[in-house]
Amino acid sequence: MDKLNLTHHISQKFNEELESIRNRVLAMGGLVEQQIADALRALTEGDSELGRSIEQQDYKVNQMEVAIDEECSRILARRQPAASDLRLILAIIKTITDLERIGDEAEKIGRLAARLAGAERPNDRYVALQHLGSHVQGMVHDALDAFARMDAEAAVQVAREDARVDDEYEALSRQSITFMMEDPHSIRQVLDVMWSARALERIGDHATNICEYVVYLVQGKDVRHAGFEAMEREVNERP
Amino acid sequence: MTRRWLQEMLYLGLLLIMALVAGWFLGHVDRWLFIAIAIYLAWHIFNLYRLERWLGHNRGLNIPRTIGIWDDIFNNCYQLRKRERERKWRLVQLLREIRDSTAAMPDGMVILDRVGEIRWLNEAAGRLLHLRVPQDVGQRLANLMRHPDFVPYLNSNRYDEPISLVSPFSRGLYLNLGIVPYGSDQRLLLVRDTTRLHRLEAMRSEFVANASHELRSPLTVMRGYLDAMREDGRLRQMWGKPLDEMHHQTARMTAIVGDLLELSRLETELRQAPYAPIDVAKLVRGIRDEALSLGQGPASILLKVDSDLFLLGAEHEIYSAFSNLVFNAMKYTPVEGSVTVTWARESEGACFMVADTGIGIPATHIPRLTERFYRVDKSRHRDSGGTGLGLAIVKHVLQHHGAILAIDSEPGHGSRFSCRFPQERVSRTADHVGTA
Repeated sequence: MDKLNLTHHISQKFNEELESIRNRVLAMGGLVEQQIADALRALTEGDSELGRSIEQQDYKVNQMEVAIDEECSRILARRQPAASDLRLILAIIKTITDLERIGDEAEKIGRLAARLAGAERPNDRYVALQHLGSHVQGMVHDALDAFARMDAEAAVQVAREDARVDDEYEALSRQSITFMMEDPHSIRQVLDVMWSARALERIGDHATNICEYVVYLVQGKDVRHAGFEAMEREVNERP
Repeated sequence: MTRRWLQEMLYLGLLLIMALVAGWFLGHVDRWLFIAIAIYLAWHIFNLYRLERWLGHNRGLNIPRTIGIWDDIFNNCYQLRKRERERKWRLVQLLREIRDSTAAMPDGMVILDRVGEIRWLNEAAGRLLHLRVPQDVGQRLANLMRHPDFVPYLNSNRYDEPISLVSPFSRGLYLNLGIVPYGSDQRLLLVRDTTRLHRLEAMRSEFVANASHELRSPLTVMRGYLDAMREDGRLRQMWGKPLDEMHHQTARMTAIVGDLLELSRLETELRQAPYAPIDVAKLVRGIRDEALSLGQGPASILLKVDSDLFLLGAEHEIYSAFSNLVFNAMKYTPVEGSVTVTWARESEGACFMVADTGIGIPATHIPRLTERFYRVDKSRHRDSGGTGLGLAIVKHVLQHHGAILAIDSEPGHGSRFSCRFPQERVSRTADHVGTA
């Protein structure tokens, strides 16, 4: 495992600044993880109040993105970092964008949950969604852990999950279409379930993006858009 | 030790005397003296060499034996090294025992330094917090344990109460985390698995809830018949007063059952209330109308409510809490008195206050007021109704919202109950119009 050496700076203060901004990104990650968990709970328990509260909390996530972005600009201007430090700042700027988008998707799910709360809740419609939800939750958590530990191999493992999430989403879509054909009265609700599934699938994509940034950060290799096999290859053949 | 030195001096002396004698008989005293001293010096240099080899390159305990003062020196070196070895061995044993005992502990322990980096953790901590030993040593704990309730707790430096939360990675795992500061800026984090405790609490609450549910049906039946009987003219003539009293008491029982259900639900809910916007002004107007129809207390309630100020929380919980406070005020204030309800911004957050000019509460009772079924004056309350659970419900609801209850009272003059909500629970209408 390649570990970034953050301790070689002459300026101890710079060291602390970098570590502190890493902290803030992970704190933002923690909040986003909680938003996802709340959204899933609101969905499966039909808790409309919880769904509405997620919308309220989203402003905190947005605030954190803006604040961290400003701090990154400040560091770039003042310290003019190079090499691995520069990669860290760039990776952070990208990561917070993806985290904020995940927050938005969670808010969408919250809103849909509030809407679905009043309707009928046949069990079979929500089992697949719950499963997809916990899968995606796990991906986000593991991606953030990989970022915290600067672990490129773990990041690759998470990226591998995305293919499975996509498959699950496909299956759920097919199932939803069947429901809609069987019972046209349920179309509105089933559509809402499908939008929620779509939001979850997008969250999975964002988590994969974060993993790509981790690989870039740790090994200096850009594996975006290269597909999962290329990513795995790059990580395994280390210089 | 001095003996050895004297011996050494003696040897030197003998050597010199031999040299003198040789010189006396064979001539050239100075040459013989020179040879004697050279021999003596060579002897010391040789032993110095052996000492240096042994100290520098030989890790073992076998030292050369020799004679004279050097024997002493070599012996002392040997003793030194032997003691050092024994001490090291004892320390290693002690360390091993400590490690074994901390590995066996079911509770997790993590030592954190000033900036929150992990210095050491035991196996249980690794298991409960999903940390890897030894890779995660040196990482900041807040990076890996990112729960939004935990991070502010860690940074707050106020550790009088531990916090409970649901594990973010293993659902169904309940953790209790407490921090103990010690030494110079170090902190010890203790993690306990409270899943079983939580389940027991949940079972207890469920029992209370089930029992209350069961009690509801018989009560409803009784109320139904009582209402019918009270309508009947003949029955009213003979049994009017007893029927009214039965109706009153049945209503009381129903209220107690309802409150018990509410309380048991509040007690098992670990998480903080959601942040849904509540129109407090509207809520308070509804409570006022209900309070005025109770038939007790002043004829009107003064409202000083900021209609632009919204509360973020759980509406039905807040309704319970606020209505309990207002109904209490109405109950303990005479008709000539007044009840004032205020909802306004403060420097940090907002405050909901119910002030009355009622009978007041003696200072000794105030700390215990929020206990379940606590009565200030036991005889009086049986007449005026009330379940005895109202303030307990208020306390739990406020806890769920991160708010604090403050009680001020002067017997004979009145009381003031204030609920202070933190900044994050408060918002202006304009802030969330778009998200409705």
